[in-house]
Amino acid sequence: MTEHVTAWLEAYHDGELHGRRLRKVEAHLECCAACRLELERLRGLAVLLQSAPAAEGLASPDRFVYQVGLRLPRRPAQPVWQRALNVGWRLAPVGLLGAWAFVQTVLVVAGVLGTAVQVGLGGDIAAGLLSVSQGASGESELGNLSGTGLSNLLPAALGVLRTGGPLGWGTTLAVALLILIGVLYWSWLASWWVRRRHLTPKGS
Amino acid sequence: MSTPAGPTAYTELDLIARAQRGDRHAYGELVRRHRAGVVNVVYRMCGDAHLAEDAAQEAFVRAWQHLPGYRPRSPFRNWVYRIATNAALDAMRREPETVDLDELPLADSHAGPESAMMRKERAGLVRQAVLSLPPASRVVLVLREYEGLSYREIAEVADIPIGTVMSRLNYARSRLRRLLASELEIA
Repeated sequence: MTEHVTAWLEAYHDGELHGRRLRKVEAHLECCAACRLELERLRGLAVLLQSAPAAEGLASPDRFVYQVGLRLPRRPAQPVWQRALNVGWRLAPVGLLGAWAFVQTVLVVAGVLGTAVQVGLGGDIAAGLLSVSQGASGESELGNLSGTGLSNLLPAALGVLRTGGPLGWGTTLAVALLILIGVLYWSWLASWWVRRRHLTPKGS
Repeated sequence: MSTPAGPTAYTELDLIARAQRGDRHAYGELVRRHRAGVVNVVYRMCGDAHLAEDAAQEAFVRAWQHLPGYRPRSPFRNWVYRIATNAALDAMRREPETVDLDELPLADSHAGPESAMMRKERAGLVRQAVLSLPPASRVVLVLREYEGLSYREIAEVADIPIGTVMSRLNYARSRLRRLLASELEIA
């Protein structure tokens, strides 16, 4: 005969055993009268416990609900700022996508204008517009940086700060904005996913 | 023309969401759905019908107050049961005389047939035995035997590990088998 399964009988009785352990207990019960008797005692206790009736003389469900309703304190409504925050959180991805589209459009327009200037189209108008988004000597500053010694580093750095680096302030700012928008968007997605997990019941 | 659906037509999650926004009718429907279970748990815990009803109402009031913070990660029933068992323990602490085992009716002098009297007597003995358990074991036993919760659900309600659920259940059953040995033999 296999080893007694007394330790697992209660879990078996409560339907909490599965898989290999369940099969092991079932196989043992088939050949062990002592464990079968123990299981019968557990079942007998469950039947005896059920013989004690439920509470009697209680209020009807409607009356109970009514009485609970009378005892419910007034719960303060959600403050306006909290509601505004909730709406803002829901609209955040739309705003981020809009900002992304705007920055992309600016970049494309700036690129088109830059190309136009290089091929000599658009003349003064395009050059004027580009001067806002690009530094005048971006590439030369990069060259200066790579070739300078330590003594020339400070003036070169000041030059980069003044002009916005090899790409110019406009483009650098646009790229930084795109990165920031991307980070914010993914953060929002992550928080949405976490929030959704919290709102979804287990096992559904 | 179609009329708007009443609270009974909503799913539990809908009702919870509405109640969280302050809808008392939705909460009333939640109370209606869980009343029987909550009252039963509290009654099995304290053994007094009127105290149980009062403690159950108190549990629903507490649940209402904490509802905005409830997240449906676990079933609403388990959440309310947790509040209800705490409300039952508080009620028993406030009115310890209700757990006086000697005051529980063991037999009805007006009972008719002998078998009915014996059944009533047996029910009284069972109730006494359950009430004699330590509260921690009693909660686990009541949730398992009278509400049919799984070990995992009991662990969630009582906020204890599953291993502790098993050991408390084992202790409660062993003690009940000793206390009710004569009744078990008759059965």
